[in-house]
This record gives sequence, C-alpha cells and structure tokens, in this order.
Amino acid sequence: MLSELNSPFMYAVCGGIILFVAIVCVIFLVRSYKAGKALGMDTKVLKRTITSSATFSVLPAVGILLGVIALSGSLGTPWPWLRLSVIGALHYETQVAEAAAEQVGMSRLSIDGMTPRAFATIALLMSICIMWGMILSIIFNRKYTKKLSGGKTSAKKGFGDLAMTAMFIGLVSAYIGSYIGSFVSGNGLFTFSGNITPIIVAVVAALVMAGLTYLAEEKHMVWLESFSIAASMLIGMLAAIII
Amino acid sequence: MDIDKFNRNTHIIGRIVSAITLVLLVGAPFVIGKYLGAMPDLGAVAKGFLAVGLVWTVSSVVEFLVYTPMLGAGGGYLAFITGNLINMKIPCAMNAREIAGTKAGTTENEIISTLSIATSSLVTIAVLALGVLLLVPLQPILQSPTLAPAFDNVVPALFGAMAYQYYRKNIRLALAPLLLMSALFILVPALTSQTSLMIIPSGALAIGLAFMGWKKSRAKEQA
Repeated sequence: MLSELNSPFMYAVCGGIILFVAIVCVIFLVRSYKAGKALGMDTKVLKRTITSSATFSVLPAVGILLGVIALSGSLGTPWPWLRLSVIGALHYETQVAEAAAEQVGMSRLSIDGMTPRAFATIALLMSICIMWGMILSIIFNRKYTKKLSGGKTSAKKGFGDLAMTAMFIGLVSAYIGSYIGSFVSGNGLFTFSGNITPIIVAVVAALVMAGLTYLAEEKHMVWLESFSIAASMLIGMLAAIII
Repeated sequence: MDIDKFNRNTHIIGRIVSAITLVLLVGAPFVIGKYLGAMPDLGAVAKGFLAVGLVWTVSSVVEFLVYTPMLGAGGGYLAFITGNLINMKIPCAMNAREIAGTKAGTTENEIISTLSIATSSLVTIAVLALGVLLLVPLQPILQSPTLAPAFDNVVPALFGAMAYQYYRKNIRLALAPLLLMSALFILVPALTSQTSLMIIPSGALAIGLAFMGWKKSRAKEQA
C-alpha cells in the first residue's frame, strides 16, 4: 500500500496542485510589488519586506516539513506534502487524520490497516474539515475588508491599528502563558516539574531579539531587521539542544 | 494608480483562485480513489465530519473574523489558501508591518501584508518541495535525537522573539493578558491543548484594555 501512496501518479496529482498554488503566490507577489511601486512606496521597503518574510519563514517551514515526515509513515509522502503546503496547519492535520482513521474502523492511524478506501476517505475528510476559511474568504472577504477600511472616521481608524497590535499581544500572551502553565502545573498543580524548555527557548529568543533590535536601532544597522527574528529563533532553538 | 481597480481585481483574482483550489483539494481524493480503485466512504466522511469537523468549522469562522483584519484582502485570500496561520503567516505579516511601519486599514499595509504572505508561502512551498525531494538523506538528520529538542521548540522561539518586539512598546497592555493566561494555564493545565482557542479571550482582554486607554488619551487630548 505504501508504495502505491508514494507512486509517481500521487506525486503528479499533489505536486500539480502545489504548483498551482505557487503560481497564485507569484501572481499576488508581483501584483502587490508593482502596486507598491506605482503608489510611490520606497522599493527598499518593499524589498526588505520580501527578504524579512523569506528569512522569517525558513525555520517554521522546516518545522512543517517535520510534520510531513511524521505523517508520511502512514499516509505516504505526497498527500501530507500537499496537505501541509496548501491550507494545512501542523496541529490540525494529525488530529483530523487520526479522527478520520477511527471513522473508517482503524484503531489508530497507521499504514498497517490502510486500504485504498480508507485512504480516500481519510484524504477527503482532511480536505473537507479545513476548507471553511477559503469558503468564507470567497463569500465574505470583500464585504468584510471593505467594512474595515472604509466608512469610518479617522479617529476610529486610529484604534483599528491599536486593536490589531492588542490582538497580536493577546495571541503571543496566550502561548507564553501556556508554556508557563505547563511548566508549573504540567505534572500536577504547582509541582514546578513540567517541561521548562519552551520557556527557556522563548526567553533566549527574546534576549537575542533585544540585542539585535539594539544594534539595528542604536547602531543604525538597519539591514539586521530583516534577519533578527530568524536569528533569534535559531539561537533560541540551539538553546533547546544545549540544555 | 487606480487603487479601486487594484482592490477590485484583488477580490476577483482571490475569489477565482480560492474556488479553483477548493475544487482541486476536494476533487483530489476522488481522483486518487479512482487510481487506487476505491472511492471515499461518504458515510464515514459524514460521521467523521460530525465528530471533528464541526469544531473546526466553528474555529474557522472565528479565525476568519479575527485574522482577516490582520492579513488584509489579498493576504487573507492567500493565507486561507496556504494555511499555517498562527504559527507562521500572522506573525510574518505582523513582523513585516512592524519593519515597514504601515498602519492597519491603509493601502500600503495591504501591499506589505500581501507581499509578506506571498513570500512566506513561496518559501514554505520551496522548503517542503526540497525537503520531500531530499527526504531520504534529510530524514535521519531532521529526526535525530540531538536536533529533536530544537525542532520541538520552533513555535516558542518564534513567540519569544515576537513577544520582545511587541511587549517592549506595550508592556502595560501586555501585562494583564500575560498574567491572566499564565494563571489560567497554571490552574487548569488541561487548557494547554486548547491554546489556539484561548487566544480569543486573551486577545479580547488586550483589545478591551487598549480601547480604554485609547479613549482616555483621546478625552485628554480633547480637554
């Protein structure tokens, strides 16, 4: 079964869809770059956006690649490759694949009990469960983004920007809080014996970020900004290996 | 440049490519099923959807409402096509915004955000394609016990660095959600598996506090 799931046909189907999505990304990239230039935006800023986003994405992408490897043992390589390249999310795929395996009568997700019918069913369920973001975008994105940018007083617009920052602070705080919670109470309430690595990694990454921000702002090494998150992450992750 | 035309076209292209991707993605299991000689069991899909899909549907609606303003129009279409929002696209777009210094709701921000998400998606696609191509030599390295702790902690490293970037300018705003979330996760450790849902109350608290502060400072300005 595994050899069928890793056949050239499977690679062609999945690779074809990924190629389509890559072309879509290039179209959006070129369009917005041209629009930015036409609007009179500094091309240096546009280029720095591209460089910083590219360096930013490499390490998380390697993390996602590990998700592909993890799922490839039971679902073959091409399908997880597609799922994690297109609308997949690392935490989502494994969970849904496991639940789908249960529905087709497998005790757990593995290649041993995998039949063609089971695979097709699991694959379809994985696609259907996550398609809602796209459907909502198709129907509501236009109205919603119009509502957000237009028809408001300038004062309200001022809060919109602050609201985004606040929402993101909330997001980051939820994650940092979860690391603290799992260390303090992960093995029982207030036992302080849970996993401390994520906290150390986060602190090291934050300290490196602080140092790099200082260099970028005070020593005018502006080029550093494009790489500071990636470098902070890398050193934070190295700290996990050392401890 | 005609901004209205640019925005109109963004929606036209966004809708068309989202619809095509949707058809491809849902159609692929049937094409694969035909190749393997067995069609998906639609009854099991329906049951599975009721078991896990409904939860994801609700969280998709929340994600759409919360993240679309952060991503902008073009960025929104792209991010919902390419996925990995919380662990990648959102922080990436916020970082780009920080570096470019653009404000939410402006055309400049729309452009920066789309550039950022398109680049991020392309890099992900490239890394995954390379990784799959080189799977045989790479697998033992990436899965080696020495490197395992590093890759287990990609997300903490990301949020640690982003926390510095955002907390330092808004430490008073950050303190309450951080303390509340830490307390919640300490007292109810089981919640750690639901972190992506806990973003909502945490974000709501931060937005509420930001709004109060903003109103206050406006009242001061007017006085």
